[in-house]
Amino acid sequence: MALADFFISLLTFVTIYSLFGLGLNVKFGFTGLIDFGHVAYFMIGAYVTVFVAMPAGLSETYEGLTGLGLATAFAGVPGGDLLGWLVALVIGMAAAALVSVLVGIPTIRLREDYLAITALGIATILNAIFHNERWLFNGAFGIREVHEPLSGAFPIGTGSFQLNLLLFGLPSVAILGYAAYRTAKVVRPLSVRPALLGTGATLALAGSVVFVITTMTGLVVDLGVFVLNVDNTIAFVLLVGSVVAGRAALTETDHIGALLALASALLFTLWYLGQPLVAFVTEGETADLLLNLFWLYDATAGSAGGLDYDRFFFLFTLAFLVGAYLWVERTVNSPYGRVLRAVREDESVPEALGKPTFRYKIQSLMFGSALAGAAGGLWAANIGFIDPTQFASTVTFFAYTAVIIGGTANNRGVILGTAVFWVINSGTRFLDDFFPSEYAQQLAALRLILIGALLIVILYYRPEGMLGEQDYDIDLGRGGVSDD
Amino acid sequence: MASAGLLDALLQGLITGMIIAAGALGLSLIYSIAEVPNFAHGDMITIGAYLALALNKPGAIPFVPEFGGLPLIAAGILGVAVAGSTGAIYEVAIFRRFRSKGADLITMVIVSLGLALVLRNVVLFLVGSGNINYDTERVTNTNVELYLTGNGLSVQTVQRQAGDLVTLGEWGYGWLSLLAIVALAAAVGIGVYRWRSDDASFETVHLVSPRIFGIASGITALAALATVLQGAPHTIDAAVWSTSVGVSIKYGVIIGLTLVTMLAMNLLLKGTKTGRAMRATADNMALAEIRGVNIDRVQLVVWVLAALLTALAGVLTGWFASNLNPNMGFSLLLPIFAAVIMGGITSPYGAVLASLIIGVSMDVGVFLLPAEFATYRTAIAFVILIGVLLVKPEGLWGDV
Repeated sequence: MALADFFISLLTFVTIYSLFGLGLNVKFGFTGLIDFGHVAYFMIGAYVTVFVAMPAGLSETYEGLTGLGLATAFAGVPGGDLLGWLVALVIGMAAAALVSVLVGIPTIRLREDYLAITALGIATILNAIFHNERWLFNGAFGIREVHEPLSGAFPIGTGSFQLNLLLFGLPSVAILGYAAYRTAKVVRPLSVRPALLGTGATLALAGSVVFVITTMTGLVVDLGVFVLNVDNTIAFVLLVGSVVAGRAALTETDHIGALLALASALLFTLWYLGQPLVAFVTEGETADLLLNLFWLYDATAGSAGGLDYDRFFFLFTLAFLVGAYLWVERTVNSPYGRVLRAVREDESVPEALGKPTFRYKIQSLMFGSALAGAAGGLWAANIGFIDPTQFASTVTFFAYTAVIIGGTANNRGVILGTAVFWVINSGTRFLDDFFPSEYAQQLAALRLILIGALLIVILYYRPEGMLGEQDYDIDLGRGGVSDD
Repeated sequence: MASAGLLDALLQGLITGMIIAAGALGLSLIYSIAEVPNFAHGDMITIGAYLALALNKPGAIPFVPEFGGLPLIAAGILGVAVAGSTGAIYEVAIFRRFRSKGADLITMVIVSLGLALVLRNVVLFLVGSGNINYDTERVTNTNVELYLTGNGLSVQTVQRQAGDLVTLGEWGYGWLSLLAIVALAAAVGIGVYRWRSDDASFETVHLVSPRIFGIASGITALAALATVLQGAPHTIDAAVWSTSVGVSIKYGVIIGLTLVTMLAMNLLLKGTKTGRAMRATADNMALAEIRGVNIDRVQLVVWVLAALLTALAGVLTGWFASNLNPNMGFSLLLPIFAAVIMGGITSPYGAVLASLIIGVSMDVGVFLLPAEFATYRTAIAFVILIGVLLVKPEGLWGDV
């Protein structure tokens, strides 16, 4: 798999989980409800969307309820399967919201810790039901007949190779350029010395990793043994240098965020473009470099290349994320959102002002759950197969981790935190190739240890997360008169 | 040949309840004194079980030097002791820092969640996700079969040895002696209760409450009389009703160990200065601090005690089920939380009682419901919890 394909699949994951996290942020960040059963709505959204879209009698191994076949119901209309799927998704979201109301009415009055444990319990029970009841949605065997909207139409492209490259390549480069521009804006306040030190530290760190990886064959036979030789000494010296330079950079500047952004941008560039650049410079090989730069263009799709389904689906989920982001932003920036935040801070205050806080909390729960349901529907279409093990309670905990890393009650923070989480959890998976395969499980566990520790460290040193709580559009009437 | 019935499920439930109680006791201490709704509690159970495994079966875990392994008793005791020190680490390295920052309940929940993630993956990292069991002797179940006939109650103890059913013992009770046994035991129980509670007044603090004392002596009297008054067995062909109860030495050990632990905890809470400081801290941390209670020390004791108790629960679960896996603790977390909340989080006694109720209702529920519902064992605990929260959110026992 080319690096660009991996990059796309990682981005799709981040997008879907960001949508999931936005839903959690509505409940947890803005309204203060600790819903430890958030994954249940993800699961319900996924199952209901699949169930509604799925035509009957597709497979003999499926023994659950007969699907409603909405995906084929609109076959006469152009783009009918997309329309059917969208209706299915809306039904999935509605189902998630409905279940959240049923869960919420008895539990939402409870104290926050009781709510957490009850929600966790209900999610666990729902998962057990989906797992055990084969008549419902095929139980533990899962559903393979997931409708993927518009999958028949792809890959698309014009007939001509050059035109395709231009059509999909230019936006790709433009997006990369825009990302670079935004990063540069964040990095700008950094003064020269710490910037240089930070660059040095990052390069030394990457160098030591590359050195270890390239000289590793035969070294990591046993994780317990560390052989002392020239290569390892160089890697070790680089590592120490990186730590020293990194420390110096951190102590010399107040713009820690800018420093981190610089380091991540450098690491990303090295990871994504480093190897192709080396290949280009040493052997004049341009294929990899072009593929990675023009990441929206898939040369292997169709006769003259084009946009394949995975890339389309990433853009598709991205559209959903943008829509959800705007919707949530609009909500929290409205007087309605202010009530939600007031409920979070101290419920008795809005109560005293005559706001029906119970109804607000239920509505917040419904909104967050519907977003989780949408994420579930997208998840199912992306994976193409669902079974109850994909919806374990750890998914909720991961979402909490992502939200807290990025910044609770900050919608951009959710996306950033989700990206950080999945880069740590999946983006480092390429390191697995350099270890014997029997260590794969260990490495996965090691990542989660790292994430758990990061969660605790962030909560201690920066409880507001990387970005902190967001600013709101509403003028709180500093001296002036508020008009709502 | 009698089949297992309600009585068997009841006994199973009692054992489940005892194991839950060991965990719930620790959680209720952490919950009420440290004010942490500890979501890492389940994984602390796992850690305890695997610490004993590391000493019992060192070959199974990489990074542990091979030294042949200790018998399970020694490994269990040492493992529980080591687990106690991990409790101190959690407190000093994590929770004390957050407490000094004045972290709120939500933060504590998330911190404990992070700790849970770390602990479970440490086990996954070191041992892997497979099932594993302790290196110890196999314990054979003995079935105690009860037959109610026209002449009275007849008892047979049956064991499966090398594929064949072997009758180990057989005896019976006439109607008269049965009546006498029950009446005498009840009399002893009530008598002891009266004797213990006659000094009841507002100031009296009983180390063991008269009610528990009465029930315990009643049960002891029942067992003693049943042993003494054994008679000749009756013919069991015409049995009106029969049931079979599986017992093994494991049951006795688990019940005995948890009872001793509870008694020790009781002594500590009611009879020592540390215990008084702990109860004072649970009531009101700020006031206790003003009165000279060293809060940090109390919290350290709480975390160490909780870690010891979880490790005990872990070793007992692993031994009872002959199976350890990294998820074993998490699957106990929900029943434990259910028990603690049901008992009223500030009451360790309520937690123990609620654990027994939950354990019994889980196993009896599985027995009573149709077979296809057996997988919803944990769900039963939860349905009870939700019911309690809706009706009586302060817990069944409230503040004790």
